[in-house]
Amino acid sequence: MMNRRKFLQFAAAGVALSAVDKTLLAGIPEPVMMGNADTQPLLMPNTGRPYQPVATLNGWSLPWRMNKNVKEFHLVAEPVKREIAPGMVANLWGYNGQSPGPTIEVVEGDQVRIFVTNKLPEKTSVHWHGQRLPNGMDGVSGLTQAAIEPGKTYVYEFEARRAGTFMYHPHADEMLQMAMGMMGSWITHPKNMNMHKVDRDYVFLLNAYDIEPGSYLPKTNTMLNFNLWTFNSRAFPGTSPIVAKQGEKVRVRVGNLTMTNHPIHIHGHEFEVTGTDGGWVPKTARWPEVTTDIAVGQMRAIEFVADELGDWAFHCHKSHHTMNAMGHDFPNMLGVSQQGIAKAFSKLVPDYMPMGKTGMSEMSDMAEMMDMPLPENTLPMMAGKGQFGPVEMGGMFTTLKVRKDMAKNDYTDPGHYAFPKGTVAYALDNSEGLPIEHQAAPTAGEKPITEFNVRKPHKMSHD
Amino acid sequence: MFYPLQRHVAYYHKALLYLLCLLGLAGCATFSEDGGFNEVQKTTQRYIKQTPVWANSNEVKQKSAEQVKALLSPPLNIENVVQIALLNNAQLQADFYSLQLAEADLVQAGRLPNPSFSMLYAKHRGDYTIEQSITMNVMALFTMGKATAIEKKRFEATQNNMVLYVLSMARQTRNAYINALAAKQAVDYLQQVNESAEATYQLAKRMHEGGNWNKLEVGREQGFYMESALALSHAENACIQAEEALTALLGLKHPADFKLPARMMDLPDAEDNLKTVNRADFSKRLDLEQTRLQVEALAKRLGLSKTTRLIDVLEIGPASVLEGRRGDPVKKGLELRFELPLFDWGTAKVKRAEAMYMQRLHQANNQAILAASEVRAQYSQYMTSFNIAQRYRDEVVPLRKSMLQESLLQYNSMLMSPFALMVAAREQVAAVNDYIEALRVFWLAESDLEMALVGSPLDSEGSVL
Repeated sequence: MMNRRKFLQFAAAGVALSAVDKTLLAGIPEPVMMGNADTQPLLMPNTGRPYQPVATLNGWSLPWRMNKNVKEFHLVAEPVKREIAPGMVANLWGYNGQSPGPTIEVVEGDQVRIFVTNKLPEKTSVHWHGQRLPNGMDGVSGLTQAAIEPGKTYVYEFEARRAGTFMYHPHADEMLQMAMGMMGSWITHPKNMNMHKVDRDYVFLLNAYDIEPGSYLPKTNTMLNFNLWTFNSRAFPGTSPIVAKQGEKVRVRVGNLTMTNHPIHIHGHEFEVTGTDGGWVPKTARWPEVTTDIAVGQMRAIEFVADELGDWAFHCHKSHHTMNAMGHDFPNMLGVSQQGIAKAFSKLVPDYMPMGKTGMSEMSDMAEMMDMPLPENTLPMMAGKGQFGPVEMGGMFTTLKVRKDMAKNDYTDPGHYAFPKGTVAYALDNSEGLPIEHQAAPTAGEKPITEFNVRKPHKMSHD
Repeated sequence: MFYPLQRHVAYYHKALLYLLCLLGLAGCATFSEDGGFNEVQKTTQRYIKQTPVWANSNEVKQKSAEQVKALLSPPLNIENVVQIALLNNAQLQADFYSLQLAEADLVQAGRLPNPSFSMLYAKHRGDYTIEQSITMNVMALFTMGKATAIEKKRFEATQNNMVLYVLSMARQTRNAYINALAAKQAVDYLQQVNESAEATYQLAKRMHEGGNWNKLEVGREQGFYMESALALSHAENACIQAEEALTALLGLKHPADFKLPARMMDLPDAEDNLKTVNRADFSKRLDLEQTRLQVEALAKRLGLSKTTRLIDVLEIGPASVLEGRRGDPVKKGLELRFELPLFDWGTAKVKRAEAMYMQRLHQANNQAILAASEVRAQYSQYMTSFNIAQRYRDEVVPLRKSMLQESLLQYNSMLMSPFALMVAAREQVAAVNDYIEALRVFWLAESDLEMALVGSPLDSEGSVL
């Protein structure tokens, strides 16, 4: 939950705040910090206009204070440590203790005032992506405002004119700051609570980082070869599940702030794209999909009825994006035996294990069986344990967990799905008498193998 | 140029008397029991633990052979190789005989010169001359004491030089041992590399056979394998050469006669454990001591030449001269022969001696300058090579080890290919080999520094051999 202690630490040690004029300081709402990368409980509005809050996947919504009729938020841009998944922490830049920053939720027509304090070592700004607002509040440093120097607090103030899903991110040294994880979601709820009403509303951003195995800081100059593809700066198996009660209408709003497109795919259901950053899609213009491609800088809100019970995969369909850090120079060694060779290798490298002959699963098998050590602060290329074995996924992967009974505001992980008997794919029992054998295709000059056809019954009996 | 007969006769009697006295003394200069070798052994041990042995009798030869055999049975170490060489090196045994030669000269100098007999017979138209003379270098009798002193100095110088030969042999043997060890370890290292390169090539070949890789990719691995195989051949050859050099210095018949240990000596833990050099060490340099002896001897000779005694060949002896007709009586008298002119000749000799002396003096000066420089340079070489080896031991090798460990972790997570892992493994082995090379340089530097504190053997003219 909101970590007040953290804030106190921040206030006590806050060089930036102490540099701010005391009288001005009194007018700034206390910044609220977050020390946790899990999906936080909904922030139920107790002041201002009512609305149905969103759940930020592996994130949280920023509390505000009402100052007369203005909703006041305080964003603190600062270096943070973000757990990408258990076993890996990234040194990122973010807001209020996490990257991405907290989701800002307001209601259409709200007067909003956002204090932005810069605790970064360089200047920054905040651009409110997709919003209708006065040009001087658009946050493009140099173009529409002076950049926020380190230690300074700037105030953005505008009316949330249009309901929809937006994003925020810096527009000063933008490439580096976004590669460092500076971004967040913004929801402007419709004034009319019944408009576009759903039972569960999720939001998250797509991000990508290039963090060398064994290191902590993203390589910000990488353009395409990222090795960590994340949902809200979280990689599978660290991603929280999307949970729903059977029959609930679910909306998932996904914003893409990476440098490539992501075909987001759902299992077991069809959805419609009901909104973009530009607004709501007219009902007549929607069509059913199981995958929607989200281009760079785009947001897509998809809606579906979670009517199929189970643990359904939900992921980017680029298969490299559902892997954690992997070696692109690792040759394809399928079918290549290392018999005799591994022995010579292990003379120089005693712990050498031959891998790759049958595929890359060998790695996850090996890691599990042998407790094979990996570099520090590095996620296995593929990981995650399901009730039937290794999931062998990573990156932009999570699950949609549909259950018969989930309390209305319960967003916690309900655990593994209890499959009804006889509904799970099963292995064929070969002993029942069905010979599973591959017949080699006859090569030129060779007689077709015919033994298979003349196999005597007694051969199949148990000795 | 004849003196009056009476004076000659008086001289003759005195000289005879003197001669008889000296004959009585002649038995004093004899060969020593140890041939001066004990002194060589004693001085040697001021510098090294090992003892040279002069196998100049069957008894000693037998004992030496047994000692060598015992020393050869375990793997060699740097102390034992020196002892074996000091017992068994053939050149050294040959050198020891120069001690005997020098002593022979010394003894000779203390003995009466052999008298010589000459006779002249001449005939001319019935006139004839017959001269019979027994001549003897009588002057040698007067100068015998001084000549003995000079030969004694020469003998001491030979002893000194012998010590230098021994110490130089110790150094050569140490160095050969260090080189042989390093060469052997290089072979061990390249064998490992070659084995892994061959395995890597085999894997690449399988990758090609399976259709996973093209010929270019296989070629790269094959190329590395070829390189490592050639490097191994070179190293094996270098190892044989180094072992042969050691074999010869140890006076052995075959490299199979000794066993090398598996590893080079470890580097001293810290700089505090290293040798230090001070002025006292420098003044112990034997070649400088020897030069001092040589200059002293020369000065002595120069002093003698000023009194014109030693420089000249002055012979005096009893003579009977028959001159005139056959019936004429034999004239009695002294025959004196001088090289002429005496003083001019003498002056030239003195000038020459002075020139020789001054030349030797400047040579000695140069030698001291070179020696000081050599000690400084060798000390610097020693310290620097220690620091380099220490850096390899404490930084480079651990770094390569941890890099290999990291590479293995990356391989484990399939981030790094097995081929790249093997490159990292070879780099780690190479770092260990570089460390061994650095160790070799260090131990050679230590050995050379020790020799720099002793000096180099000189020839009789005082030049460094």
